Amino acid sequence: MWWQWPHWLPLVVLVPLGAGVVTPAISRKSTKAAWVWAATAVAATVGASLPLVIRVAQEGPFSYTFGGWTPPYGIEFRFDEVSAFAFVVAFLGALAIVFSLRYAPHALDEARIPYYYALLLLNLAGLIGFSVTGDMFNLYVFMEIISLSGYALVAISGERIAEMAAFKYLVLGAVSSLFVLFGIGMLYGVTGTLNIADATQRLSVVADTVPVAVAVGSIVLGFMVKAALFPLHVWLPDAHAIAPSPVSAVLSGLVVKVGLVGMLRLYQVVYASRAVDLVTLNRLLTWLGAASIVMGAFFAMFQDDIKMMLAYSTISNVGYIVMGFGLASRYALVGAAVHIFNHALIKSALFLSAGAIIYQTGYRRLSDLRGVGRGMPLTGAALAVGAVSIVGIPPTAGFLCKWYIALGAFEAKNAAFGFALVFGALFIFVYYIRMLNAFYFQEPVRAEVTHVGDPPLSMLVPMWVLAALCLAMGLAGKVPLTFIEPVVTRMLAPTGG
Amino acid sequence: METADVRVLLAPAISFACSGLVFLTGRSVFWRRFWSLGAAALKFVVVLSMLPAALTGKTFVWNLIEFTPGIGITFRADALGMFFALVSSALWLITTVYAIGYMEPEHAKVRFFGFFALCVSTTVGVAFAENLLTLFVFYETLTICTYPLVIHEETPEALRAGRKYLAYTLVGGACILLGSALTYQIAGTLTLSRPGVLPAAADPRSLAVLFVTLVAGFGVKAAVMPLHGWLPSAMVAPTPVSALLHAVAVVKVGAFGVLRVVYNVFGIELLKRLGYTVPLAYLAAFTIIAGSVAAMFQDNLKRRLAYSTVSQLSYIVLGAALLTPAAASAAVAHIANQAFAKITMFFAAGAIQRTTGKTQVHELGGVGHQMPWTMAAFTVASLSFVGVPLFAGFITKWYLSVGAFEAGMWWFALVMVASSLLNAAYWLPIVYLAFFKGPEGQEVQRREAKPVLLVPTIACAAWVVVLGTTSDVPGMPFALARAAVEFVFKM
Amino acid sequence: MEAGAQASWIVPAAVFTPLLGGVVAGLSGAWPETRRRLVLAAASILTVVLAGSVLVRASSGATQSVRLVKMTPQVWIHLRVDRLGALYGMAAAVLWLLALVYSFGYMADEHRLGRYYAFFMLSLAWTVGVAYSGNLLTFLVFYELFSILTYPLVVHEQTPEALAAGTKYIVYILIGGSLVLLAIVYAYFLAGAQDIGSPLLDLGMGRGQLLVVFWCFIAGFGVKAALVPLHGWVPDAHPAAPAPFSAVLSGMMVATGSFGIMRVVYNVFGVGLVRELAVMKQVAALAAFTVVFAAVLAMHQDDIKRRLAYSTISQMGYVALGVALVDAQAATGAIVHVANHAFMKGALFFCAGLIIKRLGVRSVREMDGVAKRMPVTAAAFAATSLAMIGTPPLAGFVSKWYLGLGILDSGQVAYLGVLVGGALLAGVYLLPIVYRMYFNEPAPVVEGSPLAQAGAPEAPATMLAPLAAAVLLVVVLGLCTTPAWSPLQLAKAAAEGFFR
Repeated sequence: MWWQWPHWLPLVVLVPLGAGVVTPAISRKSTKAAWVWAATAVAATVGASLPLVIRVAQEGPFSYTFGGWTPPYGIEFRFDEVSAFAFVVAFLGALAIVFSLRYAPHALDEARIPYYYALLLLNLAGLIGFSVTGDMFNLYVFMEIISLSGYALVAISGERIAEMAAFKYLVLGAVSSLFVLFGIGMLYGVTGTLNIADATQRLSVVADTVPVAVAVGSIVLGFMVKAALFPLHVWLPDAHAIAPSPVSAVLSGLVVKVGLVGMLRLYQVVYASRAVDLVTLNRLLTWLGAASIVMGAFFAMFQDDIKMMLAYSTISNVGYIVMGFGLASRYALVGAAVHIFNHALIKSALFLSAGAIIYQTGYRRLSDLRGVGRGMPLTGAALAVGAVSIVGIPPTAGFLCKWYIALGAFEAKNAAFGFALVFGALFIFVYYIRMLNAFYFQEPVRAEVTHVGDPPLSMLVPMWVLAALCLAMGLAGKVPLTFIEPVVTRMLAPTGG
Repeated sequence: METADVRVLLAPAISFACSGLVFLTGRSVFWRRFWSLGAAALKFVVVLSMLPAALTGKTFVWNLIEFTPGIGITFRADALGMFFALVSSALWLITTVYAIGYMEPEHAKVRFFGFFALCVSTTVGVAFAENLLTLFVFYETLTICTYPLVIHEETPEALRAGRKYLAYTLVGGACILLGSALTYQIAGTLTLSRPGVLPAAADPRSLAVLFVTLVAGFGVKAAVMPLHGWLPSAMVAPTPVSALLHAVAVVKVGAFGVLRVVYNVFGIELLKRLGYTVPLAYLAAFTIIAGSVAAMFQDNLKRRLAYSTVSQLSYIVLGAALLTPAAASAAVAHIANQAFAKITMFFAAGAIQRTTGKTQVHELGGVGHQMPWTMAAFTVASLSFVGVPLFAGFITKWYLSVGAFEAGMWWFALVMVASSLLNAAYWLPIVYLAFFKGPEGQEVQRREAKPVLLVPTIACAAWVVVLGTTSDVPGMPFALARAAVEFVFKM
Repeated sequence: MEAGAQASWIVPAAVFTPLLGGVVAGLSGAWPETRRRLVLAAASILTVVLAGSVLVRASSGATQSVRLVKMTPQVWIHLRVDRLGALYGMAAAVLWLLALVYSFGYMADEHRLGRYYAFFMLSLAWTVGVAYSGNLLTFLVFYELFSILTYPLVVHEQTPEALAAGTKYIVYILIGGSLVLLAIVYAYFLAGAQDIGSPLLDLGMGRGQLLVVFWCFIAGFGVKAALVPLHGWVPDAHPAAPAPFSAVLSGMMVATGSFGIMRVVYNVFGVGLVRELAVMKQVAALAAFTVVFAAVLAMHQDDIKRRLAYSTISQMGYVALGVALVDAQAATGAIVHVANHAFMKGALFFCAGLIIKRLGVRSVREMDGVAKRMPVTAAAFAATSLAMIGTPPLAGFVSKWYLGLGILDSGQVAYLGVLVGGALLAGVYLLPIVYRMYFNEPAPVVEGSPLAQAGAPEAPATMLAPLAAAVLLVVVLGLCTTPAWSPLQLAKAAAEGFFR
């Protein structure tokens, strides 16, 4: 079958990587050309990732080795169910690029636009690479590609405040990367291999678990900074709020997930090898997750800037996922993993609609935006759908995670966290309701916002595709679950990897 | 006997589609009315067409989609669900007619009618939910869809009420979510198609937690004290909303949920053994009395109606908590009895407000002479609440009292008596004011409400009498209530 | 359906005719007065005819039964007529007819006649319904409707006093009705059935529970039957209501409570069980106290309608006493006294209404010389007063005679004193009025009083005719006691049935 062609796997990383590198060169003359190039490249990436997803659904995990060097010696790309994240990345990236057609010229100097697309493509390439690599060192490399392009994207507008935010992001990002690198190094020292599958096998026979534990701790710490878990979140709100909206969508929806997908990978290794007992760590993560949910919501309540609100909301949602990891029961892990995907969709929908509102009205403070729902009915509706979804109102996508993690909490005999999660979610609703009230039900402060009209189609379409997915993925909750359940089953299988 | 039949899906889907069409084409008055009325009528016909089969004991099911493995969005029209669906779709039709007349001078009518249809869609979804998760899905959606209706006026007061409403109901929803998860954990299934799914051997502590979470969750919408705070404030909504949502959809969904929890999740036998329903019965009794007492001190007519709703809903909860067949019949039948009577009153209150501008009870002197038909309907509803025989409310009172004796808790029969006296104490003075007091020394002009407001009011009042006199005639839905009770008690 | 009962359309027709009449009256707001009167009179006469034919059938011992509608599996409307019910229904139909005709004259210049006639006819329907009800629930249905839907009649004048009396009335009646409901529900719970016929309850159901049911019933019906201390609403409601309604209020409505007590004792518990429970001693004591206490109070009333109202309380005490003695003779007396008292008290209230309307006086002290101005009315009042005291051969004597027989029969001789004392007290509170009417000089005509305006003080024939008819009935009931359809024979037969 066509989807069994082995070279789709390298292509899906190399296409955006290559396209990204050459973008500035191709589009010296016109920003339009840069967009066309980036759009083509990202479309090709989506096209290349599709067969991979089909193949993993049909056949299960598969590998690709470069130049015929088999692991553990060669470089391996391994596409398992978690790697299906790559498809989400490509898809969201495509939507972000479509959205940027009109947004980028509005937000950026013309000269920076080619670099903007180049960085975006590189970022996507990094994300895809991160999710498909089968090798710890490459994991780190792709992570750095993501981080570096991410810093640059936050700073790309060139404004002073953006540079500040990017700097904060850079410092913390670099430190966290170091932790991850340190952990990977220790694992290499213990096992003598960088290949993940290989390391898993060797770890299961390691006698001295202390260095392994230190390595795991170090990696988790690094990833949690990347994931912006409370109290390691300080870099996130500024970075996400200040970046151009399509970038915010990518950062919030995807880049934050690097830490979480990484965690999933690490847990796959550790659970399968049974090298260390994670009980203590898990308890800590559960508590931090709960704290993250509540604190994220708490901070968000006092924001007036809509993108700031959305950024803090990401912290809460990361809390859900980390709590799911921490509870470590089957349902909880399913819920956490599902939310990695769904949150990407939902948060992107929210950021894109917020971006469209800012683009149309020029305001970004809630107090200025009162009544905008009347002025931009379709955009407002998309945002409302996203809001309802992220709060976890059934039958939208956000609900699945709440349901599964709550189930998982009971399964783990930790009912209290089920309560914490579900009631914590209510806090989140508080500020989304504020937002919706302002958009729809309060007297406008700025008269013009009530008749600005909806944005152009290049913005409306991506936004509504995502909003529709927020609804559809709730009803079709089975789809992500078909990818996730085998992983979780394998992780928790009593026999080990 | 289960049959796959798409009509169970169609019933909620029609109003869902209707809301979409209203949003899309609702700027034109004609289309807005056309879709609203057409869908309401169509839906009523669809639900009604299931009635004959349902009366013969058929149960329709439809598997819409597998939501998550093992748990689907599944619709199943059992007797209890059918009963509730029938009530809500019939009242949707009537209320739509009324709303078209009532909302004439209001703003944002597209939004109003769109969300209105959505609410009914979700209510029927709750009625037909086959499992707890489906029920929760629609329950929560209903919460959200009602919000724009509650704050329709967009005044600060309305926004405040809306916030209060959301705060209460979302917390309740959260409880239900947890309860559902816990149920799944304990029972391994969420289906509501059996008389009780929880294993008797389960850890009693978990069962206690489960009971509290589920009942508290549904109790918020059923306005069981002390969870009732949102209901009186939510009365700032336009009258048709108060009527449909606070007499039928929202609050009844809560009460319906309590019935489902007691009958289909726990089951009678388990609860009898566990005894959790006894405190619930006391709480309901307290609510019945306290709600009525609070109602006596309200001067705003709609607030009085709201407290009366608080009180009346607990009849259903009490009926469920007594765990006897007669009490269960009362609980199920009261879904309809209270709905029609209360909606009559809301309609009358709205008609008075629109026609004369009066909203306070003390202003109502002589209204009966101005609007005799409206106030006659109001009187019928009052008598129903007092529990006068031949009116719907009496059926409830009778069965609930018999149920109290059956359960060996005769003092709840006293509660019923006290409640009807209290009802008399706060409804009859209004009737009295309207008919026997008048503005002194001036000729009263007859100013009846517009036909579009009047006809639904009278239709509902007439139905209150029908429910009170002939509810067991073949073909009437009371047989459904009986079937539901027989199923639950395995008779 | 029990054996021997026959279905008959006449039974529901007797209930629905006045019901329909009431509905028509309610819609008759714009009709010319003559047409309305014709229709109402026709409906009322038809009801009398129907009730009469029911009575004739019942007197032959047949039980007529119709199941109207099944509301729910436990709740259905069922009409069933035995002798007791037929007698009560007939008395109501006739009294209502008289009061209706009286109303035509009396109410001519009143406001809101549509409402008045509507509820007037409806109340007849409910009363006949109570009489003919075949199970406890049906009884309750009509009983409650009767109680609540007569409220507009009580407050018809809409004066502050009338409204206050109405409030008092509704509070008492609702509480009483609730107690009755509780008792009925409890009885249903115990017996699992509720058809009136052979006794429902038996001693196997637990003495304590039975006592609770019994006292709930007595307290509930006692409110309406005006047993002291539950009588508070009666003296206020009667003077406030228009005279024709006072007549039926006193004549039949209060008796509905007594009727209920009879049903409870004879049909729900049964004579045997009641004896077994030994509760009737207390009821008898209460009834005796009511007789004397109310009569004493009546002596001190100055308002003539108030005095008559207390008289009603006292007379209903007789009925309760008759039931409480648990004796066939006493029961006959009690049953027949319901019918007799209806017409006696009806006639008295008719007289009082005429005096108030024509002379504008309602104080006993102002009754001086009424006979000079209104000879017919005064004569009727005198005759009926004598009947009320129990002078042979008038109606009141018959019932008291049987009550006396029953007292002797049951051996509780002390109550003979109550019986005689009550009669004497009736003389004390009624005869002074008669004395003043005939033997005192009338006060001079005051300028501007109704009397001065009317010219001829005696009432017109339309109002005198029903009064005369009522008095005639009082005489006839005292004289004609032998035909099978006469109240006495019916009561005897009914009592024998209960005590068999």
